[in-house]
Amino acid sequence: MSSPESIVVVGESLAGTTAARELRARGFTGRITLIGNDADGAYARPPLSKEALRPGAGDTSTISVDGLDVEVDRSGAVGLDTTARLVRTAARAEVSYDRLIIATGASARRLAQRGQSGELVLRTRGDASHLADRLDTASRVIVVGAGFLGMEVASACAARGLEVVVVDVEPPLTRVLGPFLADRLAGLAASSGVRFITASGPVGLVGDPVRGVCWNGQDVLRADLVVTCAGDIPCTDWLAGTGLADGTGVGIDDRCATTVPDVFAAGDVSYLRSLGRRTPYWSNAIAQGKLAAASALGQAGDCATDDYFWTEVCGVPIKVMGPLGLEAAPDSVDGSLEGYDALLTWERSAGRTVVAFGRKLPVGRLRTMAQGESVSG
Amino acid sequence: MKINVDYDRCEGHGLCAEQAPHLFSLDDDGELTYHLEGQSVPEEQATKARAAIGSCPVAALRELT
Repeated sequence: MSSPESIVVVGESLAGTTAARELRARGFTGRITLIGNDADGAYARPPLSKEALRPGAGDTSTISVDGLDVEVDRSGAVGLDTTARLVRTAARAEVSYDRLIIATGASARRLAQRGQSGELVLRTRGDASHLADRLDTASRVIVVGAGFLGMEVASACAARGLEVVVVDVEPPLTRVLGPFLADRLAGLAASSGVRFITASGPVGLVGDPVRGVCWNGQDVLRADLVVTCAGDIPCTDWLAGTGLADGTGVGIDDRCATTVPDVFAAGDVSYLRSLGRRTPYWSNAIAQGKLAAASALGQAGDCATDDYFWTEVCGVPIKVMGPLGLEAAPDSVDGSLEGYDALLTWERSAGRTVVAFGRKLPVGRLRTMAQGESVSG
Repeated sequence: MKINVDYDRCEGHGLCAEQAPHLFSLDDDGELTYHLEGQSVPEEQATKARAAIGSCPVAALRELT
């Protein structure tokens, strides 16, 4: 394998910019082209569903690639030829590469019918500022989807004193966090004024513009705003005909390599073939961006997954380090759950999981705790 | 430029220290220290400082103009 002279990173995302930065950090001096499609460039998404929804919040900071000698094209990739090794962009005809890193991320899943207007989603900075503006004049909001994003949006609505109803076919947060944590967080949200409704069938949107939701052809709920927080869809349209993407996303191995030689993928667009599903978390976008860069240079990198994420429900931050699937109660509780200041530990065959439940704890320390020797054996 | 660090908001993710190790560091407990508290960032460090601000996943860093 000859050493690359030109590396193209498609996706001006956290994964994409991390990969570009890592290529330089690892000594790559050739040409790097970063192809994005958001006029705002790259930015951290976690604050978009938290700080950015507060009244009067300005734009959050941009992730800059200044000083890295990276050529940026924000017209978007529209096609790929893996035989000729060319990426086609909307602005320039073709960009050639020796190595390609795919980091196009995902877009918000929508529930509106074709032509039905007024559905709100939250994925981009533009979405966040639009939603924040609309919240300024709303009084009643429906959030469709009781996952992390839905709960964060509902928290923002409750903090603004708005009436907010969260609708989902499943109870809030349970599928990912397990019942012990999910029940407590749902209780916290309820005490902050968030109402939950479990739909008995798939949720649809009502009105044009959208003014409510329905399921099983009835049970219509009305609101000023409907925000869909029903997951995301990997951005793979531009990969049509390459065989790189399937219904799940772009499959990668534990080096972030795809099935096509010299093509790597990282972040929300990708999934580990050994796992069979995407794990679109902030920490994985960083881990995989770094690893894809290392692999593109033929160097060894770290692990493709990082078992860490955090969320915030009604002002209480929750940090989780370690494998999920926390069905039972924790093996140890240090502090007060009622006071939202506790450190919870699960010891399982899958490994140790440590959760900072409202307790302010630097991530590095949480990581050390999760990796430490098991005390209960 | 100057940087304002919101320590209440900081969750200790440590990306700023990766982007600008001369400006930010985490101690053994993962607590953040900003080395130029109240001072101006030297011009030659401004690019790295802005990269650090943009990398913060909790928007705890702000550029003061």
